[in-house]
Amino acid sequence: MTTIQRRITYAIILILGLAWILISADRSGASTAGKIYAPQQGFLAPDFELKTTTGETVKLSDLRGQAVLVNLWATWCGPCRAEMQSIDKVYNEYKDQGFVVLAVNMTYQDDPLAVIPFVNEQGLTFPILLDESGKMANAYQLRSLPSSFFIGRDGIINEVVIGGPMAEALLRTRIEEILK
Amino acid sequence: MIEIFRSLFAPPRHLILLVAAIWLGLALAEKRTERHGISKEQLNNISFYSLFGYILGGRVLFAMTNISAFTQSPLNLFSINIDLFDPIGGLVIAVLVGWIYGQRQKLPFWGTLDSLTPFFATLAIGLSLSHLAVGTAFGGPTDLPWGIELWNATRHPSQIYELIASLFVFALIWFHKSDSPPGILFLTFTALTTGSSLFLEAFRGDSTLVFGGFRVAQIIAWVMLIITLLVSESMRQQRES
Repeated sequence: MTTIQRRITYAIILILGLAWILISADRSGASTAGKIYAPQQGFLAPDFELKTTTGETVKLSDLRGQAVLVNLWATWCGPCRAEMQSIDKVYNEYKDQGFVVLAVNMTYQDDPLAVIPFVNEQGLTFPILLDESGKMANAYQLRSLPSSFFIGRDGIINEVVIGGPMAEALLRTRIEEILK
Repeated sequence: MIEIFRSLFAPPRHLILLVAAIWLGLALAEKRTERHGISKEQLNNISFYSLFGYILGGRVLFAMTNISAFTQSPLNLFSINIDLFDPIGGLVIAVLVGWIYGQRQKLPFWGTLDSLTPFFATLAIGLSLSHLAVGTAFGGPTDLPWGIELWNATRHPSQIYELIASLFVFALIWFHKSDSPPGILFLTFTALTTGSSLFLEAFRGDSTLVFGGFRVAQIIAWVMLIITLLVSESMRQQRES
């Protein structure tokens, strides 16, 4: 290939590349972010309605306008237990700014009698929800415990943290992000 | 099949794929490094220092940009949480550390990049597998028969497109003729990788958009492609003159 032929080839490649950028531009904003419900960053957090350990009913969509941490946990899960104190500490630091924690116990795969003693022993002050049917876990496509979903005031998942225990610094950076 | 793979490597187990890709990539790079004028020891050293720079730099830069969170719990600087990390900052530090090591050891610039190319190509395969496991870098909605169910929609299997492209690039790199001038292997890898991401980004459902719908990743890939072709042409002219 001569120099001229090579340069023409390069120019054609670049023009085709530019044309592809123009053709594949997403003018309708077809990116699914923020439009449908899915347990993934950028999507609307799937709604759920569960009872707390004190018998109240909590619905996620009723908390729209507040920053929410949905934490999926079980008493038999070591990392879940280990991060509870940190979550409680930051919850008390940020709750006045509109931060809410919903700690959803995976009751359908946990010992229901162990939940309240654990919460009392740890002195946890945020609401503990009970997923007795596994419906909520299914909606959040639970694959590992703990799983934490940081949800912004607009109801969109800002960050998903799988595994733990979460460090306080991690909690603070993520909470400050969803409080914006 | 995809569901089994996703369950097997659900986060945080997806990291196994990345670690395996790093290990395999370095082993493959080591196998051929001497043909590029870099000894196995030099290759291992530059890789080790750069990886160390990536891990340390990523954490330190994350802490610096979120200083208030760390002043209240300074010991978290040593936390095992991988989310306390700035991947872009880590990459910058890794490149810087590798460059400083190369300068101090007087390593040939293009020879070093050529010897690391099998590592980069293998890492790209590991990254696409990791995306598939986690469900990130997902595709836009489609009604094509090969669409996959992900995040409550039938989507382009963009991670599989990415995997096929990275396997294809790896094969081309691995079977690239061994007597090519310094830098050509790396530039071929860069051109193929930027070209494939420019093409495949169009099928993504999570693109960052600018100026009324243009995909940022495509613009970056196109600019990278221009740079690669310009450098390649300039090296060719230097050789001919």
